[in-house]
Amino acid sequence: MDKKETMPRPGTRRLVQLYAALLYNANIRGFVDGHIYTGNLKAACVPGFNCYSCPGAIASCPLGSLQNALNAAGHTAPWYVLGILALFGVILGRTICGWICPLGLIQELLHRIPTPKLRKSRFTRAMSYLKYGFLAVFVIAIPLWYGVGKGIILPGFCKYICPAGTLEGAVGILQHPANSTSFYQLGEIFTRKWVIMVVIGLACVFCYRSFCRFVCPLGAIYGFFNRFALTGVRVNKDRCNGCGLCAMQCQMDVRHVGDHECISCGKCIGSCAQGAISLQCGRITLKGPETGKNADPEPVVRKRKQAGRIAWGIALAVLVFAVVWFNFLEPAASQPVSGPEDAVVTQEPAAEAEHAETTAVPEQGATEEGAQDPAQTTPAETAGEDFTSNRPVGTEIGCQLPDFSTDLLSGETFRLSDFRGRVVIINFWGTTCAPCVEELPYYEQLKQNHPEMEILAIHNRAGAKKAQAFLEDKGWDRLDFALDSKEKGLLPLLNAADAMPQTIILNPHGEVTYNAQAPLTLEKLEVLYQQALETTF
Amino acid sequence: MKRKTVYLLVQSLLCALLAELLAAGALRLYLDGAARQAEGDMFYYMFTRERVTQQLQPVLPLILVALGLTAGGVMLGIRDERADLPVRDMHLLGEKGSIRMRAVPQASDRRTVVLRTVVLVVAGILIVAGILNGGLEDVLAKGAAICTECVGLG
Repeated sequence: MDKKETMPRPGTRRLVQLYAALLYNANIRGFVDGHIYTGNLKAACVPGFNCYSCPGAIASCPLGSLQNALNAAGHTAPWYVLGILALFGVILGRTICGWICPLGLIQELLHRIPTPKLRKSRFTRAMSYLKYGFLAVFVIAIPLWYGVGKGIILPGFCKYICPAGTLEGAVGILQHPANSTSFYQLGEIFTRKWVIMVVIGLACVFCYRSFCRFVCPLGAIYGFFNRFALTGVRVNKDRCNGCGLCAMQCQMDVRHVGDHECISCGKCIGSCAQGAISLQCGRITLKGPETGKNADPEPVVRKRKQAGRIAWGIALAVLVFAVVWFNFLEPAASQPVSGPEDAVVTQEPAAEAEHAETTAVPEQGATEEGAQDPAQTTPAETAGEDFTSNRPVGTEIGCQLPDFSTDLLSGETFRLSDFRGRVVIINFWGTTCAPCVEELPYYEQLKQNHPEMEILAIHNRAGAKKAQAFLEDKGWDRLDFALDSKEKGLLPLLNAADAMPQTIILNPHGEVTYNAQAPLTLEKLEVLYQQALETTF
Repeated sequence: MKRKTVYLLVQSLLCALLAELLAAGALRLYLDGAARQAEGDMFYYMFTRERVTQQLQPVLPLILVALGLTAGGVMLGIRDERADLPVRDMHLLGEKGSIRMRAVPQASDRRTVVLRTVVLVVAGILIVAGILNGGLEDVLAKGAAICTECVGLG
């Protein structure tokens, strides 16, 4: 048989894979400024495996969303994510894995490295059932057990295994100098996940799509829909002579073309001497036998290619639009590290206009030249001691944090300058963030130990209702809670748009003595509190 | 030994060595940090940009060598051709001792169409129910903020 006939057409599929990876990560600006996209499109999921904490990601990861939904199943039924997965499954099935999964692309590129290859065998076939174990334990059981049973947020697969999270999320965030403090919280979890990622990467070099075949719970979910999905490879019963060459040449652990392991890559279309296999979407043939016995007639092939060119044209237009929109037009595409010079750091624009003029935020790491005039700083009205600061304004250690005011959930107004003379802790948290929720009781305890200090806990703008319900349930009354606003949020101003939890500790002069994205214990908080009391710059 | 075999062997060793260095570097930083923290330095940061850069420095030349070798190999068409051979283990393909090929349901199969339609309708209902019960907002809340623990940062 002619080699060209037996070879698949990786060109088209590879281009589609690249296209999907680019489209999922159209927020290229995120890689440049080190921040993630926080717009409303994050409420939607992409079909493939793509970490939503990747700076480029424009939508959410279906598997991460599923774990999060199961975690919260105690109070919100996970209908939305289940519906999304069912929709993707019934329309595309595991065609998603073969054609539009960025992680699949990475695995295939790694497998292109010329080394001896491990072929499929009874062993790999048995191993392919492991992914159902990962799905049952890490994606379903752990989030349900901890979320519903114990009220602890724990997305098992994301936290313990997911190589996409490590590569796209963690490395994607850490690569940017603006996120240097994110390094501080790396420890056991990161080390374990890093090693897992490296091992999976190495396995993919020698064994085709190792992660996809043996580990991927998303592939396992889509596999359930594969037999009746609208899109996928189909065998013409009348033409098939049961030679089995399709399954023998397939690199996945399939027994039959189109079974739960089949990713509809279309390699078998070229290998079938009977011309019995085609890739179809409903009744439309996307790819059929073009040469040999039972090949599609020339006009049909030509028409299909013409339609393909039109589809590519539309797809490219969509990609260009997405890149332009997310990088230049969408306001929530990427939050700035610090506000512009004329930023108003208050949520009371009319009444506070005069005050706002004094609270402009310079670029991060401002020099002495860019320092705020000390005379403009609000003096403390405590004990006659002067707590003014002549440090430059900024969010880095040793800088004077810019003044701001925000409405508290209690209805009062919090103004930072009102607390000169006291240690102030500003904590950024979220109900969807397990370490944040775990450390909040420590802040409550700290405030109980040192009532003279001030603690402000700021929740992300998204999920406000859930946060309020959570706080009502906990009944904490020592901490001041505020919600970030979408338009003039405190999160980007305080350089915390990226990762949670983040804690900023100010000494009585309003100068930053600690600013890091890391969970803290009561013991550490006590040390940091004492440090803030004793430190002057 | 054939030149191609030597090349494939060298590439394999290089990949394994790279993986070992990358994994060992992270483990070293973690173990050093854990030891420092056990000594009472609770604010010792195991990983910093400087330490990570230091660990990566010896790996980078190897990565470049591996990339160069890979590019050369791909351009010259060097590969393990056994990977293209059909797997003839009958046990893999169906019932013991036979190739029992089953054709998958066709797009026109009545049962398949009915099942597909039912799932499609159920999916639609689930999505609408999810939007109404706040599930959509939950996905947005999770996606719009990084949970460091979830992505393995800490």
